[in-house]
Amino acid sequence: MSAVVSVRGLVKRFGKVLAVDEVSFEIAEREFFSLLGPSGCGKTTTLRCVAGLETADAGTIEIGGRVVYRTAEPLDVPPNERGIGMVFQSYAVWPHMSVFDNVAYPLKVRRTPRTQIAARVAHVLRILGMEGLEQRRPSQLSGGQQQRVALGRALALEPSVLLLDEPLSNLDAKLREQMRAELKLIQRESGLPILYVTHDQVEALAMSDRIAVMCAGRVHQLAPPEAIYRRPATAFVLDFIGGVNYLPCQILSAGNDAVTLRWRGEGTIILERPSYVPDGREVLLAMRPEDLRLVAPDSDGALRGRVVLRSFYGAGFEYRIRLGETELRVATGKDLDLREGSAVGIVVAGGLLLDPDAPSRPEARAC
Amino acid sequence: MPHTARPIAVPRTLDPLSAALQRMLDHRHLMFVVLSFFVFITIVYPLLQVSVRSFIVDGAASLANYEQVFGLRRNYVAIWNSIWVSVLATVLAAAIGVVSAFLVQRTDIPAKNLFRALLVLPFAIPPLFAAIGWVQLAGPVGLVSQAWRWLFAAGTVPWDVYTPWGIIFVLAVTKYPFVLITVAGALQRMDPSLEEAARSAGVGTWRIMRDITLPLVRPAIYGGALLAFVSSIDNFGIPAVLGMRVHFYVLTTRIYEALTVPNMPLATAMSMLLVGLALVSMVSFRYAEGGSDKYTVVSGKSVTPNVVRLGRWRALVTAGLVILVIVIVVLPLLALTLTSFLRYWGADLSWANMTLEHYAAVLQTAAARRGIVNSLLLGAAAATILVAATALISYLTVKAKYRAAHWLDVAGITPFALPGSVIGVSMILAWSNPPVGPTLYGTIWILLVAYIMRYMAFGLQTTRATLQQIHGSLEEAAMTAGASRLRVLKDITLPLLRPGMVAGWVLIFISAFNELTVSVLIWTSGSETIGVWIFLMTDSGHTERAAGLAVLTLPVILVLYLLMQWLARLEERRAERAGLTEGKEK
Repeated sequence: MSAVVSVRGLVKRFGKVLAVDEVSFEIAEREFFSLLGPSGCGKTTTLRCVAGLETADAGTIEIGGRVVYRTAEPLDVPPNERGIGMVFQSYAVWPHMSVFDNVAYPLKVRRTPRTQIAARVAHVLRILGMEGLEQRRPSQLSGGQQQRVALGRALALEPSVLLLDEPLSNLDAKLREQMRAELKLIQRESGLPILYVTHDQVEALAMSDRIAVMCAGRVHQLAPPEAIYRRPATAFVLDFIGGVNYLPCQILSAGNDAVTLRWRGEGTIILERPSYVPDGREVLLAMRPEDLRLVAPDSDGALRGRVVLRSFYGAGFEYRIRLGETELRVATGKDLDLREGSAVGIVVAGGLLLDPDAPSRPEARAC
Repeated sequence: MPHTARPIAVPRTLDPLSAALQRMLDHRHLMFVVLSFFVFITIVYPLLQVSVRSFIVDGAASLANYEQVFGLRRNYVAIWNSIWVSVLATVLAAAIGVVSAFLVQRTDIPAKNLFRALLVLPFAIPPLFAAIGWVQLAGPVGLVSQAWRWLFAAGTVPWDVYTPWGIIFVLAVTKYPFVLITVAGALQRMDPSLEEAARSAGVGTWRIMRDITLPLVRPAIYGGALLAFVSSIDNFGIPAVLGMRVHFYVLTTRIYEALTVPNMPLATAMSMLLVGLALVSMVSFRYAEGGSDKYTVVSGKSVTPNVVRLGRWRALVTAGLVILVIVIVVLPLLALTLTSFLRYWGADLSWANMTLEHYAAVLQTAAARRGIVNSLLLGAAAATILVAATALISYLTVKAKYRAAHWLDVAGITPFALPGSVIGVSMILAWSNPPVGPTLYGTIWILLVAYIMRYMAFGLQTTRATLQQIHGSLEEAAMTAGASRLRVLKDITLPLLRPGMVAGWVLIFISAFNELTVSVLIWTSGSETIGVWIFLMTDSGHTERAAGLAVLTLPVILVLYLLMQWLARLEERRAERAGLTEGKEK
C-alpha cells in the first residue's frame, strides 16, 4: 500500500525552541494514525505543518503522492491547495453561517454546481445524523453537534486525508466516548486516512492503527497500540502510557528463556523472555498495575506488603501497597476486597527491565 | 461514503522572479501601501507641520514663538488656568462617577438600568449644550436664579456661572460619565469570590467595600479620571461660553483668540505646549496608577456581582439619585428647550411668552441649514471612511501578522491623546498652502480630514477588539477548506468583524457630529457645522436661536445614543453566548 501522507525529516523552530525535531512518518491508505504526547511535545505543530498552517524549517511533506512542502526548492503549497480536511480543537464552526452553509463552504469555494453541493451536504449530514438541522445557527447547537458540523465540513470535499487536532477534548466524558466510536466507524466506512493529534492515551490506544508517541519534538516510538503499551521503546513511553510501578531488584539468574529477580532478598520474580536485560546485577523492574496479582501474605515467592489505600472504581479496585519505601499500584477485580492496613502478598506476572537510573534520565522527565 | 481520489493540481515551483512579483502583488502589501499613504496624509504630515513650524521663524530655527507665549501674561496664565480648572473638574467628576457607579452597580436601588442609561447620557450630549443649558439655569436671569430670588426675596444670588468655578462645575457634570463607565465596568467584571472570601472571614459590608472592592477598582478610577482630565483640557465650548466674556482664558480659548487675530505662530507654539501638557498628564496618571494593573482580578467575563442591601437607606439613596439625575441631566436640557420657545431669554414663563419664531429663524437661515447638512454628511463620511480604513489596519496587525503595519496602529492612536486645538492648528498649517495637492483650507474637506485624524483611534480600538475575539482557527478552517487568504478575509473575517464596525461607526458619527473644539478653528463660510453655528449664535447673544438648533439636534443624538447602548448590550450578550459554547483552549 502506498503512503497517502509522507513526512520526512520535518523540523520546525519557534525562535530558539525546537518544536519539531526530525520527525518522519508515513500514513497508509485507510489508516488511522495518531500523534500522541503531552502538551508542548510538538504534535500539533507537526499537524499544522502538514496542513500548511505553519511553514516548516526543513524536511519534506507529501500528500497524495504530491510534494506540498520541500525546503530545498523551496516549495510550500498553501493550505487551500493541499486537498485536506481539518477539524480544530475549538471546532471553528463559523458563527455567522448556518449548518448547511458551513458544510457547503468548501464546495462553494471550489465552484461546485449548486445541485451537487446540496446533494453532497445532505449526504454528509445524513452520515453524521444531523438531518433537519441544516438551517440552525452554530449558537443554537450543542458542543457535540458543533463538532459534527466541523467534521462534516472537513468531509465535504472528500479530502485525501483528514487532519484532526484534539477534536474530542472539549466534549464531556460521555459524549467523548460516543464520538470516539462514531469517528472510528465513519473512518472505517469511508476508508479515509486520518492523522489524529491527541494527548489522551486512552483515546489514541482505542482508535489508532498506529501511534507515534512524541516528546520534546521527537518521535520516541512509532508502533501499533498494543506494542506501544506492551513493549514501550523508551522510558518516556513507558511512563507516559498507562500506569507504571517501579521496583529496584537484583538479578538472581539470567537464562535464555527467563530472568529470575529478587527484591531485597525477598520473593522470587520470574520474567519470561524479557526484551532487554541490563548488564549489571542491580536493575529496575517496571510493572503495569495489572501485571501484579494480590495473594495471601504467606504465599510462596510472594513479596509482602501492606494495603495503604483502597479505591473503588466500579469495575474493580485499585490498591496502593506499601513495600519498604516504595508504593505499588495494583489493579484488581471487584471480588478481592481488602481492608486498609491488612498485610498482603504480591506476585509479579510481567514487567520490563530497565537500567537502575532509567526513569530519572532526561528523556523521561523532559515533558 | 465512497472515497474517491480527487485529481490534484500539478505541483508548482516558482522561479525567484515570479515569486517576488507574486509577493509584491500579495493583497497585504498593496493594502499596507495604500493605508500608509492614508495615515501619512491625515495624521503624520499635519503633526510634522505643527511640531516643526513651532520652531521656525522666517525660515530659520528659533525659539521666538515660545518666547512669545511666555512673554505675555495672558498666554501663560491660560496654561495655568487649563491645568487647575481641569484638575478640580476631574476630582469632582471622579467623585460623582465613582459614587454613581457603586450605586447603579452594587446596590439594590430600583430601576438600575434606567438610572445607568440616564447617568451616562451626558456622554452623548455636546458639552456646549450643557454650557448653554447651565447659563439658562443659573445665569443672571436663569430659571434657578429667578427661583432663588423669589424664594428668598433676595436681590442677588450667591453664585456666578461666569467664573472658573462655573466652568469647573459644568465640566464635572459633563465629564463624570467617563469615570462612571470605566468603574461600573470594572465592578461588573470583578470576581465576586474576592469579596465573598472577605465576607466568609467575617468582614462587614462597608469594610469590604473599603478594603477589598475600592482598591481593586482603583485602576479603573484612574483610567476614567485620565479620560475626564484629557477631555476637560481638550474642551472648548464650556470655557468659551462661561469664561471668554469675563476674560478668563484657558489654552483652547486662547488659541481660538490667537487665530481670530490671526497670530499663527503663537497658536502653533501654544498647541505644542498643549501637547506637552497632555503627555505629562498621561505619564503622571500612569505613575499614580503605580503598576496597580498587575492585578488581573478584573477578568473579561461578566459575572453576577454581589449586591449591597441598603435596607432603610434604600428610599433615601434612591431619592438622592433621582435628584442628581434631575439636576445634572434633565434640568440643563429642560432649560435649553424652554429657552428655545421663549420670546426672549429671561422672559417670564407664561403662555403669552411662548413662540416658535426662533425655530423659524433657524430653519430660514442658510448657514444653519448648511450646518445641519454638513454635520450629518461629515459625520457619516468620516465614520464610513474610518471604519473601512481601520478595519483593514487592524486586519493587518491582528490577523495577517503584518509587522510593518504596527506603525499605522501607533500613528492612528496618537491623535486620541492630542487636544483638539492641536489638531485644528495642524490642519490649518498643513492645508493652507500645501507643497503638493489641493488647498483644503477654506473648503469643507479640511473638516473631514480633521475628523478622520481625530477619531481614527476609535475605529482602531473597536475593530481591533472585535478581531482579537475572532479565534484564529475560524480563519484557518476556511483556509484548509480551500479558500485563499483574500477569500478568507471576505467570507469569514469581515462578516465576523461587522458588529465591531457598526459599533465603531456609531461611536465615530456621534463624536464627529458633536465636535466643536477642532471645527471652531478651521470652519469657513460654507463649511459651518451645527456646533459652530450654535457657538456663534451664543457668542453673538442670539441664545434663543442657538437653543433652537440645539433642541432640533437632540433627537438625532438621542436616537444614536440609544442605538449605541443597544449595540453594546447586543455585543455583551453575544460575548456571553460565545463564552458558553466555545470550549476552553489549551
